[in-house]
Amino acid sequence: MSSATGPIVSIQDVHKHFGNVHALRGVSIDVVKGQVLVVIGPSGCGKSTLLRSINGLETIDSGRVIVDGTVIDSQHKNINTVRAEVGMVFQQFNLFPHLTVLENLTLAQTKVRKRNAEESKQIAHDLLKKVRIPEKAQNYPAQLSGGQQQRVAIARALAMNPKVMLFDEPTSALDPEMINEVLDVMLDLAREGMTMLVVSHEMGFARNAASNVIFMEAGQIIAKGPPRELFDNPSNERMRQFLSKILH
Amino acid sequence: MQGPAGSGAPRTPQATPISAQSRAVDQLANLPYWLIFILLAGILLIYLYSSNETYVTALGRILNGVVVTIYVTAISYISALILGLAAGLGRVSKNKVIYNVATLYVQVIRGVPILVQLLFWAFVIVPLVIDGVNALGQWLTPILGDPNALTTVRSRDIDFTLRCIIALAFAYGGYEAETFRAGIESIGRGQMEAARSLGMSYPQAMRYVVLPQAIRRVLPPLGNDLISMLKDSSLVSALGVRDMTQEARLYASASFRYIETYTTLAFMYLVLTLILSAVVRFVETRWKQM
Repeated sequence: MSSATGPIVSIQDVHKHFGNVHALRGVSIDVVKGQVLVVIGPSGCGKSTLLRSINGLETIDSGRVIVDGTVIDSQHKNINTVRAEVGMVFQQFNLFPHLTVLENLTLAQTKVRKRNAEESKQIAHDLLKKVRIPEKAQNYPAQLSGGQQQRVAIARALAMNPKVMLFDEPTSALDPEMINEVLDVMLDLAREGMTMLVVSHEMGFARNAASNVIFMEAGQIIAKGPPRELFDNPSNERMRQFLSKILH
Repeated sequence: MQGPAGSGAPRTPQATPISAQSRAVDQLANLPYWLIFILLAGILLIYLYSSNETYVTALGRILNGVVVTIYVTAISYISALILGLAAGLGRVSKNKVIYNVATLYVQVIRGVPILVQLLFWAFVIVPLVIDGVNALGQWLTPILGDPNALTTVRSRDIDFTLRCIIALAFAYGGYEAETFRAGIESIGRGQMEAARSLGMSYPQAMRYVVLPQAIRRVLPPLGNDLISMLKDSSLVSALGVRDMTQEARLYASASFRYIETYTTLAFMYLVLTLILSAVVRFVETRWKQM
């Protein structure tokens, strides 16, 4: 389906309005397989909206979003197939509270991927090892710390074998001492070559893992480049101000 | 050694009787006096039954209707849950046609008294449907060949118990629809989004993620409605269905023993609702633990 060289996610001149607010003003990005793209910017700049439009949680007014060769159209029948290829991690974890950790990981595998119970459990256990909480399989989400919940959420998304992972401020709702355990898991993923789009203000993660950083403001991309270039030598005045505020 | 023991010793024996006493007062104050009152009333009734032949006769007549009361309540309630779930899902649907049909149903149901709804189903809708079926049968006779295929449905074939069950089911279905809607809307949007982002379809996300949480949350109101349904089932007596109330009315009007009959009737409903609320509470705690 996808060509080896083409972008796995292609966002082309996307516009989005919320009532009178012009949330995205002609955003274009290409993400190549294996790339880690970190999106930063002040709140309300459209970062989350951009991310959510990639798996059709947000409809777009104009432009195109193409994931792995398929045009995203939330009205289209194939939207579920495309979504299964795009893992999403939310700020508020959004684990299913009525299911155990294991069931959280197996539900979509059996219902969407049509794997049998045995296979999906095996995959779930392997992923829980990967995110370093194999002992919590039978617990309910409410019995886990925030950091553990977010790692389960990452494992749940990975269980679908997505081609791309989207992270929408994955550490913003966490206590400071739990941020690193989540970032470590994300770093592992990046090193393994997972294609990732990350909305985050964790500059350490951006420096270590990002192949590119995008700075957005008012629905537009203002600056783009490798993290070192962008952070150490910001050419854009607005970005310089923003960085000086979040780096302290 | 002397200090703490000396200061502690007089305090302890002093403190113990006070706390024991206050605990006893507490327990006394927290006794379920309402239940004791009902039990006493029950004992009084039992005494009356042993001393008064009329009470026994009245009770015997009313018990003839208890099966009908329970049967009507159970079937109507289960049907109402199914209708209510369907309409509740319609109320949160993005499909405008489904949303409007469900909302129309809920608004009409909630705007008409249940007794009037019973009369309307029994004497307007059911006869109209029967006429419609017969007209269709007449029209189809040349095609089907058999003149009796669809033309033999008579109004009396649909008995009034069934008409009442249909009416109660639709009436309560309207109320349950709003209960289910509220439950579904109380589950955060993030749950639906997480399920959808895993590739689940809307029906899958509803069935496996949103509804299991929503239904657990609305169990208390659903339980209350079961108890209300038991009480409202007495309305079927207005159409001559021989439930407990109708049996009581027949006996009272024949014997003129109004006091004995209606006291027994009221107490029978009270006993049934108390049993039912105990069952509902039990089910709720079991579900909460799961």
